[in-house]
Amino acid sequence: MNHCVNRTTIFAGAHKEQARNRFQSELEFIQCLANPNYLNFLAQRGFLRERPFINYLKYLLYWKEPEYAKFLKYPHCLHMLELLQYEHFRKELVNAQCAKFIDEQQLLHWQHYSRKRTRLQQALAEQQLPQQPPPPHGNAPTK
Amino acid sequence: RETMSTAAEKSTKERLLSVLDDLEVLSRELIEMLALSRSQKLPQAGEDTQILELLVQRDREFQELMDVAQQQGKVHQEMQLLEKEVEKRDSDIQQLQKQLKEAEHILATAVYQAKEKLKSIDKARKGSISSEEIIKYAHRISASNAVCAPLNWVPGDPRRPYPTDLEMRSGMLGHMANLPTNGVNGHLPGDALAAGRLPEVLTPHYPFQSMDVSVGMLPPHHGNDFGLEPPGHNKENEDDVEAMSTDSSSSSSDSD
Repeated sequence: MNHCVNRTTIFAGAHKEQARNRFQSELEFIQCLANPNYLNFLAQRGFLRERPFINYLKYLLYWKEPEYAKFLKYPHCLHMLELLQYEHFRKELVNAQCAKFIDEQQLLHWQHYSRKRTRLQQALAEQQLPQQPPPPHGNAPTK
Repeated sequence: RETMSTAAEKSTKERLLSVLDDLEVLSRELIEMLALSRSQKLPQAGEDTQILELLVQRDREFQELMDVAQQQGKVHQEMQLLEKEVEKRDSDIQQLQKQLKEAEHILATAVYQAKEKLKSIDKARKGSISSEEIIKYAHRISASNAVCAPLNWVPGDPRRPYPTDLEMRSGMLGHMANLPTNGVNGHLPGDALAAGRLPEVLTPHYPFQSMDVSVGMLPPHHGNDFGLEPPGHNKENEDDVEAMSTDSSSSSSDSD
């Protein structure tokens, strides 16, 4: 699917370059939002209070669609973007401690990701186990 | 007895009773007359024959009425049989009604569940993505450690689940910042949704890298970053530095 078609239909040939640039710049910008220090920076300079910026954040939600999301290298940015829709979150980001806390938690989540996932998968497997009839022979079924 | 009759005919029972009463009265008169005639002569001439005639007449009436009563009895019996029949049919109908209601209920449930299933099929279809794409994407976010930290990560490692300022600078936005600030504005078409310009903040003159000593972020010297990287990861970082928006095919507007 041509991701540019939606955004390019308004612009004719010569504007294709412009649209391409816009796509790339928005792709880069949204991923910057995954960086809590950057968010703190934005908050302290008052960008998060500006109505145009808030509108822009809402506009960026289109990156949640699968056809756009597949270009994101840092998916954490989507979660941050969702949180940024809330005024309370934007206000809190002014505090450096808040940003630091988010950064720490984010890193911890990042570090423990695979461990948490295996635990989650084990829990799910255990849930489903009683419903399955036991195999007649000794080999345990692998999922 | 007369008082009970309406415009319609008197009931058979009433008529029978009235006839019996007449008979009683007539018989009494006759017997009185006969009793009197023993002692005295008949005061009126043909009164006895009159009474007798009346008696016979009344008796005939009585017999007729009895016949009628008997027939009415038969009819009444038939009516009762028919009523029983009607009752039976009524209960049959009620039974069928119950069954219909049950069937309707079952069908309604089945239809509802079928509709729900169709809805979820639709939903699943809408959200369907080719498995190849999912695997590609999973590989992209895993290979770059964007979602899960590298197994040998320790504090001091500059790698992060988000773009570092080095990466930010190396991207398109970072390069745009080297142009005069008007240029940043000029790059955006008038998008009503975006409601205006991209903030100049994207020009990487933000000082936050200096605030992050505690997290162990290194100063943005190219050499130092790579100096601390374990061998084999250099290539990854180089890729990171080159462009955050990977896949040149992604920004091409060519069809596909």
